[in-house]
Amino acid sequence: MSTTSESIPTPAAARPGRSSAQWKRMLRMMITIREFEHLGEQEFRNGLIRGYYHSYAGQEAVGVGMLEALDPSHDYIVDHYRDHGHCLAMGIDAEQVFAELFGRRTGVSKGKGGSMHMYSPDKHFLGGDGIVGGGISVAAGVGMALKRMPGKGLCVCFFGDGALDTGTFHESLNLASLWDLPVVFVCINNQYSMGTSLQRHSSLSQLVDRASGYGMPTEQIDGQDVGAVYSASERIFAAVRERQRPCFIEALTYRYQGHGIHDKPLNYRTTEEEEPWRRRDPIRLLSEKLIEERQMTPAQIEKMRQEVTAELEAKAERARQAPAPEARELFDDVMI
Amino acid sequence: MATTAPAMKTKKMSMHEALNQALREELSRDEKVVILGEEVGLYNGVHYVTRGLYQEFGKDRVIDTPISEESFVGVGVGMAIMGFRPVVEMMRMDFSLRAMDQIYNHMAKIHYMSGGHLKVPMVLRGPEGPGPNPGLTAQHGQQLTALFAHCPGLRVVTPATQHDAKGMLKAAIRSDDPVVFLEPGPLNNKQGEVGEGEYLVPLDRADTKREGGDITLIGYGASVALCLQAARELEHDGLSAAVIDMRCLRPLDMQPALASVAKTGRALIVEYAWQSYGPGAEIVARLMQDAFWDLDAPVGRVSGKETPLPYAANLEELSKPQLDEIVAKAKEIAAA
Repeated sequence: MSTTSESIPTPAAARPGRSSAQWKRMLRMMITIREFEHLGEQEFRNGLIRGYYHSYAGQEAVGVGMLEALDPSHDYIVDHYRDHGHCLAMGIDAEQVFAELFGRRTGVSKGKGGSMHMYSPDKHFLGGDGIVGGGISVAAGVGMALKRMPGKGLCVCFFGDGALDTGTFHESLNLASLWDLPVVFVCINNQYSMGTSLQRHSSLSQLVDRASGYGMPTEQIDGQDVGAVYSASERIFAAVRERQRPCFIEALTYRYQGHGIHDKPLNYRTTEEEEPWRRRDPIRLLSEKLIEERQMTPAQIEKMRQEVTAELEAKAERARQAPAPEARELFDDVMI
Repeated sequence: MATTAPAMKTKKMSMHEALNQALREELSRDEKVVILGEEVGLYNGVHYVTRGLYQEFGKDRVIDTPISEESFVGVGVGMAIMGFRPVVEMMRMDFSLRAMDQIYNHMAKIHYMSGGHLKVPMVLRGPEGPGPNPGLTAQHGQQLTALFAHCPGLRVVTPATQHDAKGMLKAAIRSDDPVVFLEPGPLNNKQGEVGEGEYLVPLDRADTKREGGDITLIGYGASVALCLQAARELEHDGLSAAVIDMRCLRPLDMQPALASVAKTGRALIVEYAWQSYGPGAEIVARLMQDAFWDLDAPVGRVSGKETPLPYAANLEELSKPQLDEIVAKAKEIAAA
């Protein structure tokens, strides 16, 4: 039913108008993620957060725009390791996410998973995943399950541009198309596979072309513009639900930090390269739009930022005060 | 504990027929059970285990997959965390090496990493070792038991009798843990008595297959039959050998072996697997730890030879544990 050049149709019912409250909600969530990562980075440098820290700063519009379009009662997320922002956008309490990062038993994974392994089945968030490409086949499995369950739920699977170089990406897209699975494969193209630029890791510069061989519609979207992400997601999700077929989205964006906080991006990229992306910062773009349309004033936006920061600081403090897991919990939930 | 429950009505059948009966009964009992694998459906199963199930339960329950082991094991994981009970077949367990990321990093880890929020009730099953047919060679007849048994988070079991094969597979499908179910390839076509109708064999109990007072022969999977043969030979030499079937390797149940060694003071481990770092090595370590003062002689081992499985008939045979080696080694230990 699909061809390689197929575009995603617009169902008649899609595209209701955006309310002011919705724009403000998306702005607030993007600011929440940015400030969360800011606090998290500080705690990583302080040594309270151990291991790895993959910041979502700069990419907020992708997760926020896309998850705003979800049906939270039927849809599921399978995520990659850069997962803090998606947790917050799925409605997981920032205190639980901080607590997980701090290794507390009140963490979303009881302090057993850490940064890359957040799970909240209640919020339909089926994990972070520490292995590049590791969640893509799991998402196909979630799609298999959803197809056999009531409701027209879909699974959104996030991964980076580096994941396109793994075998399982290609195997899983083939399976999803072959089996007509309601899975939205979202490649967050932040231009780098760890420290290796797109030009140095991908045989094709247009990543949609690497997915188009599997007979599913593909679409490249502007991942800096939350409104564009939301509109595209709303339309694409409706099509996936209606047709019970997968699709592939490439969201163009940029990460401000290195692959992890510990690496030094200027070893492999330049500040000149970063500049144009920062000019199109997702929070800045939406703020400018809301100011221009007189929906918000700069002072109101600043007040929102301050409120969010105060809230997050209070949550981080409660998470700091929470207890570590007890020694007896070491052997909980594992076959030995 | 006897090999087959004597009160139960039994019927003679091959191990693949016993496994097939288990799958049929579980597919009928629980609609959440699905089978996935290469050639499990229309082809009827390369080793006949899924014979007839596609015709009986249809393509949505018995799902033929492309040759994409990593991804269809991941699909199993995804379906399992959504509450299905997938039984994923490896045509040969050798091919599971392609899927190790999903097995080690996902199937075995998600329950723990998620702080127990998610369960992975799936079964990964398939034949291992040199059989049923001869000439399988180095990439189709390996015994990789140790790789699975090494990994916390997995249940790892391997039946040695047709009766256990059925009862253990049914228990594995009903278990909420991820189970690696290793079918001894050499036994696939071998006949034995199998209980009729509903019964389960526990997944955490080793089994005494034969009582004896002079030496304890310890095996698992296909080597249990060799132990029983050796025990009969040893009778001619006036030696009474007990035979313990370790059948559950993780969690490893040492109680029957320890109880037997307390009587015999001597033990010989027999396995098809490579000796170094294998399950036999673990069993020896446990005996040293928990039966040191009961032992009257060093524990012996007869294992598969440490080579890739060779093709030539004479070399292939030599690479397996040999009956005369077992008998000679048992006599040596008994005389020590």
